[in-house]
Amino acid sequence: MSKRVLTVDDDPDIIMFVKTVLEENGYIPLIAMNGETGLSIARDEGPDLIILDVLMPKQSGIRMYRELKGDDALKDIPVIILSGIARRTFLRSQEALTEFGDQPVPEPEVYMEKPVEPAELAEVIADLIDRS
Amino acid sequence: MQNKKLLFVTQFEELWFDALTSLMDLRKTGFNHVVFLHVIERDKVAMHRGKGYLKDEEIKLREMANVRFIDWAESLFEQGMEVGAYIVVGNPLPKIISTAAEEDVDLIVMGRHKKGKFEELYGGSETLEILERTSTPVLVYKYMLPSGKVNEKPFERPLLTMDWSPASEKAVDYLLSFRDILKKVIVMHVIGEKEFKSTSAMEIQAIRKENRQKLERVCSVFEEEGIQAESHLYVGGTFEQIEKAASEREASMIVAGTTGKSPLKEIFLGSVAKKLTKHSMLPSLLVPASVKL
Repeated sequence: MSKRVLTVDDDPDIIMFVKTVLEENGYIPLIAMNGETGLSIARDEGPDLIILDVLMPKQSGIRMYRELKGDDALKDIPVIILSGIARRTFLRSQEALTEFGDQPVPEPEVYMEKPVEPAELAEVIADLIDRS
Repeated sequence: MQNKKLLFVTQFEELWFDALTSLMDLRKTGFNHVVFLHVIERDKVAMHRGKGYLKDEEIKLREMANVRFIDWAESLFEQGMEVGAYIVVGNPLPKIISTAAEEDVDLIVMGRHKKGKFEELYGGSETLEILERTSTPVLVYKYMLPSGKVNEKPFERPLLTMDWSPASEKAVDYLLSFRDILKKVIVMHVIGEKEFKSTSAMEIQAIRKENRQKLERVCSVFEEEGIQAESHLYVGGTFEQIEKAASEREASMIVAGTTGKSPLKEIFLGSVAKKLTKHSMLPSLLVPASVKL
């Protein structure tokens, strides 16, 4: 059975790009345009992998990532962060939120800064899905 | 009330990141979420004779905005703040209103533009339309000097103008929600010259006394919260006297309630809020009567 991959990004061009990569490699794409909707789809559908942007309306990828990793039903879903926001910023932000009293969260499985090549993304997806 | 989310509207000509940085004191009052909005005006990318829709231009403008927002967002994320961004093509006014509604923001911050279409937007009437249609207070941010220097703590010493309308009473309550960053509130009322039409000194003195007592009541509201307050009565044209008081009392911003009249009525009545938006040198925090507290 094909694996389902949830992509959360507010940029229609990126969504189209990732969707194409997923479909060409035999995965079923699930799409959300912000963290709030993404979290809802993750809870309803339980995807095999999540590709997550950071800077988005409604709820950022930073908050959605914390929600995912703090939820027993979702915390084991591997996450690829695919963003224009630097990895260092993502990690510092998570550290800051932990300092403010939130639970610590692990680092994401993979962090990729936009833009990425289709082959590079396909390889990382396959690697994570095979591993899980 | 709980202030959490701020909509920062910028065209990158009138409002930069230093303006937002100067508002970071707001975190002490509960703000922890900034939503950036940049509207690419339709005229810049619309159909041109012989060229069609300027898709390349739209991409260029989007990416320029994106680079800036990413840089700004990184600074805020690293402080543990939540950040969102919208880069949209369209007419600014409806986009501001729809984004404010979509994100359910507690405060809209925008600049004052001097040329082009945005002059109309930030020229007064449209700001009032935002106030009327969103029930969200608007902070019209101003750079203090032509050199572009920002007022580092605009909420430290606000001048609160009272006209005794329900809107100005709401402004008192709204300003109190910033109690953690207010140092001193300067409360003022302007007695219009028309009120001096009586020839009786007693009657004029009675007007002065009544307004003075009302001002003292407002001051005591702030003082009970541990915030210093002082009151002042001015006489003359409302906008001119507000500006005079702000200058004499070294205010950091001006706070006013807005009546909720339709923008059309405001145009004819020449509202103080509109003049503050358009002409005041200081940032102006405009609070609609319909604000949720």
